[in-house]
Amino acid sequence: MPVLASRATPMAQPRTTTRDGEARIGSSARIRGRIHGEGNLVIEGHVHGDVTVRGDLTIAEGASVSSQVVEAHALTIAGELEGEVNASGPVTLAAGARVRGNLRGSAVAIDEGARFSGRLECEFDLPPELGGASRTEGRARAAGRR
Amino acid sequence: MAANATVIGRTTRVRGRLSGDVDLKIEGFVEGEIAVTGNVTVDAHGMVGANVQGRRLTVRGAIRGDLVGAEAVVLEEGARVVGDVRAPRIAIAQGALMRGLVQTADDGAARAPAVRAQQVAKPAAATSRAAAAPPARAHAPANAAAPAKPPGAALPAPPSPHRGNSSGARRPPPPIVPALKKMKGQLLKKREH
Amino acid sequence: MASTVIGAGITIEGEIATDEDVVVAGTVRGKLSAKEAVTIEHGATVEADVTGGSLVVAGSLTGNVTAVERVDLQSGARVIGNVKAARVTIADGAQFKGNVDMDV
Repeated sequence: MPVLASRATPMAQPRTTTRDGEARIGSSARIRGRIHGEGNLVIEGHVHGDVTVRGDLTIAEGASVSSQVVEAHALTIAGELEGEVNASGPVTLAAGARVRGNLRGSAVAIDEGARFSGRLECEFDLPPELGGASRTEGRARAAGRR
Repeated sequence: MAANATVIGRTTRVRGRLSGDVDLKIEGFVEGEIAVTGNVTVDAHGMVGANVQGRRLTVRGAIRGDLVGAEAVVLEEGARVVGDVRAPRIAIAQGALMRGLVQTADDGAARAPAVRAQQVAKPAAATSRAAAAPPARAHAPANAAAPAKPPGAALPAPPSPHRGNSSGARRPPPPIVPALKKMKGQLLKKREH
Repeated sequence: MASTVIGAGITIEGEIATDEDVVVAGTVRGKLSAKEAVTIEHGATVEADVTGGSLVVAGSLTGNVTAVERVDLQSGARVIGNVKAARVTIADGAQFKGNVDMDV
């Protein structure tokens, strides 16, 4: 996917309301390009490109983001998202979300009904009876046991 | 829980295969394989080192293994799962942690996940070619360690992305290796003559 | 104490070990050892060596049985294997083939 200029190049004029550091990409907006910002961002339109925000990112119902990488603090998805997610905060998929890509966050919550295809990578250790911290070796062991 | 409910109590440790048309509640430790057609609940004290197949899986404990729900997989707060999770519906609550692949049905490009647990026995032969992971039980005759199990029982075919294909495109069963070897010997003998 | 219930319809192939009571109504193949009471219900199929605090059998059991206190074979039980316990009762209607050792 080509990475265009760092400023969003809207094909239509998006309505953005800045309110206490929150930016909003309105539902009629279609954006092709990278988006990055310091505050929170709510996407109600359609974005084709990487999104990187320091604050919280919300992909509203009906919105879609198609990217290689999405980075944010907390991420709430009620719409469509395709891309790798790196969140420093919690990631939440609402029931109507459709997500493809790997999710990384401090915590991940998926409501029943959400559609998701990808990997989750939470940091934790299993109890020692199940092999503790070992990851793939443990799984291969359990799989090859029988 | 149904009248058929099986409860693995908190101080109980099971090493082996659990199968049947039952609901299962695990409060203790189970290592091996779990393939039932009913609902499976792993409570907060439960620890499972096995792939788990069932209708609706509800997890509050620790699991190292793949989870396949014919209906749904629900990870509740306290769940710790290392493994892949596949079901038409998947829920992961705040406070549940997992590491692995997650695949719900109908997300567009992804393949359809595991179907009804009753169908598990059928594609076992087909998926044995596709599945790279634990194929040992598909070649039951070759595996001397595995207790012989009548084919009617649900075989926990390892969850694999190919399962969606196997139900549609019926692959021929894998060639029987000893027969091939025998034929090869005969062919060589013929050439020598 | 809570108990472990191996319900009707389930088949467990392997080893079961517990500190609790165990009630078996399903099928167990392999090994079963409990610290407390073991009940093998009518309709259950156990093909395993069984050890327990005490054992009551009303179903089918093939294997050796060792109990600390007592073994009771009830009417309807089918047991093939050796039984070792301080006290043993075999009810009328129970079928049994094996040795009984009460020299604990």
